[in-house]
Amino acid sequence: MLSYILKRLGLSLAVVVAVVLVLFSLLHLIPGDPATVALGPRATPEAVQRYAEKMHLDKPVVMQFLIYVKNAALGDLGVDVFSNRSVAQIAIDRMGFTVALVSVSLAWAVLLGVPLGCLAAVRPNSWIDRLAAVLSVGTIAIPSFVVSIWALLLFSLELRWLPAMGAGEPGDPLDQLHHLALPALAVGLGWVGYLARMVRASMLEVMGEPYIRAAHAFGLPPRRVVYGYALRVAILPTVTLIGMGFSGLLSGAVFAEIIFARPGIGKLIFDSVMNRNFPVVQGAVLLTTALYIVITLISDLVVAWLDPRVRETL
Amino acid sequence: MTGWKTTRFTTTRRGFLAAGGAVGAAAMLPKWVGPAQAAERVLNLRLDADNAILDPGYMVGGSEIEAQKQCLPFLAQYVVEDGAVGWEPTYFVSKLEQRDPTHIDFELAEGLMWSGDFGPVLASDVKYSYERMKTTDWSGYFDAFERVDVTGERSGTIVLNKPFAPFIVITLCHGPGAVLSEKAMMAVGEKFTTEFPAICGPYVYEQIPGQRAVFTPNPDWTGPKPDFDRVNCNVITEMKGAELAFEAGELHCTEIGTDTLARYADEMPAGAKVTAAGELQYLWLGMNTQHPKLQNKLVRRAIQHAVDVEAINQGAYSGVVTRSYGNVCPGLIGQRTTTRYYTHDVAKARELLEESGVRGLELTLKVLNNQERMLGAQIIQANLAAIGITVKILPQDAGPFWEMGQESKGEQWKDLELFTMRFATTPDPYEAMQWFVSSQVGVWNWERWTDPEFDRLYEEGLGETDPAKRAEIYLRMQDIMEETGAYVWINHEPEVYVHADDVEISAAPSAELDYRRFRQL
Repeated sequence: MLSYILKRLGLSLAVVVAVVLVLFSLLHLIPGDPATVALGPRATPEAVQRYAEKMHLDKPVVMQFLIYVKNAALGDLGVDVFSNRSVAQIAIDRMGFTVALVSVSLAWAVLLGVPLGCLAAVRPNSWIDRLAAVLSVGTIAIPSFVVSIWALLLFSLELRWLPAMGAGEPGDPLDQLHHLALPALAVGLGWVGYLARMVRASMLEVMGEPYIRAAHAFGLPPRRVVYGYALRVAILPTVTLIGMGFSGLLSGAVFAEIIFARPGIGKLIFDSVMNRNFPVVQGAVLLTTALYIVITLISDLVVAWLDPRVRETL
Repeated sequence: MTGWKTTRFTTTRRGFLAAGGAVGAAAMLPKWVGPAQAAERVLNLRLDADNAILDPGYMVGGSEIEAQKQCLPFLAQYVVEDGAVGWEPTYFVSKLEQRDPTHIDFELAEGLMWSGDFGPVLASDVKYSYERMKTTDWSGYFDAFERVDVTGERSGTIVLNKPFAPFIVITLCHGPGAVLSEKAMMAVGEKFTTEFPAICGPYVYEQIPGQRAVFTPNPDWTGPKPDFDRVNCNVITEMKGAELAFEAGELHCTEIGTDTLARYADEMPAGAKVTAAGELQYLWLGMNTQHPKLQNKLVRRAIQHAVDVEAINQGAYSGVVTRSYGNVCPGLIGQRTTTRYYTHDVAKARELLEESGVRGLELTLKVLNNQERMLGAQIIQANLAAIGITVKILPQDAGPFWEMGQESKGEQWKDLELFTMRFATTPDPYEAMQWFVSSQVGVWNWERWTDPEFDRLYEEGLGETDPAKRAEIYLRMQDIMEETGAYVWINHEPEVYVHADDVEISAAPSAELDYRRFRQL
């Protein structure tokens, strides 16, 4: 297990270096002088010079890259050129909101998607199965930004049940939950479908296994067979999917964050791109990548922990 | 055996689902507003981004100026009377008078105190604040400023190094005119970002990054009490998002785009009203007079006559913009009400082109890559096609667009032919003129013409304090610009706010809001 973890960490490091290289080149590939692009057309020469010095643009490109890598390795992702705040601090602050959004989205998707998938699997080809299939494909097919806009128009504009924007009053968890409801609905809806389809397929496969037939033959209650035996095995691919989904949604939640004006890492990256605030773009993407790697690793380890067959292959 | 009892918290599947359902249901319930909140007058506004630097010397501008206006003293503030922009002294001064073209006397009001232990607001604070500005990023606003002579504890004289008529409107009413506490600034190393070192104003400022800026009453404030107890400025970067939030009843006021303005003109949301803050932007079609294809003035004149400005304003801007006849914006001294050298006349355009002897002309029109500019460019393309000029539209990203006429950025200025350009300006005509003097050729004068009379008039306009004479100067300057044939004036896009009809808003001509001047009707 330890060698597996070390191997994965080594690969992760290579991924991080590749991402840093791409991010670094971003600044130099954008047409126009980076300082003018960032500060606007009428920036004073003094401001342009200060920016260039702060970003080490006055040094050779290779040197700039090495400085960036060295600083990033030490946890210094630079400073926001506009506010002078630490990029690492800004990105970490925003990451909390995105993690909350993604967690709640996936939580409700699991609570609905997994039972729906089980129900469809234990009654294959019944009307429940068909209805679940239609709902699943429907929710997968509708992009989350369409759901976001639809939910906003219906629940905020028309019915005025839920707030249209923001993350809620700091220090007021109920208000924050209230503000989380619509974005979580929008982000999680597609995952209800994914999970239901995945669980159904896995369950159908597992339900045909000899040990399940044996359990039925021993007269165990059907509920116990389904939830106690079949689902325990069928859920394993879903755990991997949830791990990957969680990571993907860290940046995928950007639409919901923009539409509902929620702070979050996706929105931070989007706003920084729009403002040509390159240090923040670089830092936020790097942090997201690091988190993606960690979460994927954790989900793989959880699967290995749950499934002895996987554990033996490590 | 011991007598210990253990309590086991067990979680059954049903219990877990029930708890989850309850939490979900609680989240879905509309938020209950208690009596305490109902009693508090709260104003919910939009902030288009986090405030990054509140220091007037190094700010980005916009909402940072709005924050300064709530927490720092200013000597003057904007006033709009009969559509004309002017100024008036603020609560912070008992006297503000222009003694002569280079001297402005002021006396601070009695009893103004800085927060913390930084004592009273003094004339020396004004001296420190303004003299410091000369070495900052916003030093351009202080080009004509020489020094402040302190004549008493609360009185002094602002001395200019040359006559500069718009100093009060341009500088003292705007963000760079904020006064800082010298003592507090020394305590923080003479620079600050998102925390004011000391405040003197009706509100205390607090920022929650990524979420909002909050203004709550300043307990030390002895001046006029604002109508609202709390102002929440919520960070909503997208204008469309803010418009929806307004329609959902979550904002009391927000800026809207021209397409939304057109929609509201047809059907205004219930209980809403729109207010135009100002129209301090001018959009025009420019022509590089030194480009071989456009050196013939008759060709440029033909283009001036061919372009249907009304069609652009209707087609690309939904008819909600003010048609432009020059680069002096509505409400300012010297605004023109008609063009002098051209009208939309296709026959005349054809005749001029015929007279020029130019045949089969092909031109490139470079525009900023956004929806309105692209639509406008397509209308220009069709207009010029009607007189036999083929136009190729080249949309540009902001980076290369703002460099394409600048000699310092390479050779691309030599290829520049036609372009649509929009400049924002301050509430005085001098600012719009400064970009077209001879020294700006290859900098911002991308039309690349020079005129000694224009340069002379520009200097005269700066020093002239008689409004009537200034109006004459700026009218003549626009005549000169138009006569070059290098301009087709298109529009002045308004900065418009939609707001609850029981709230009277206060917006500067440059669109910054002043929350303390908002009124609950």
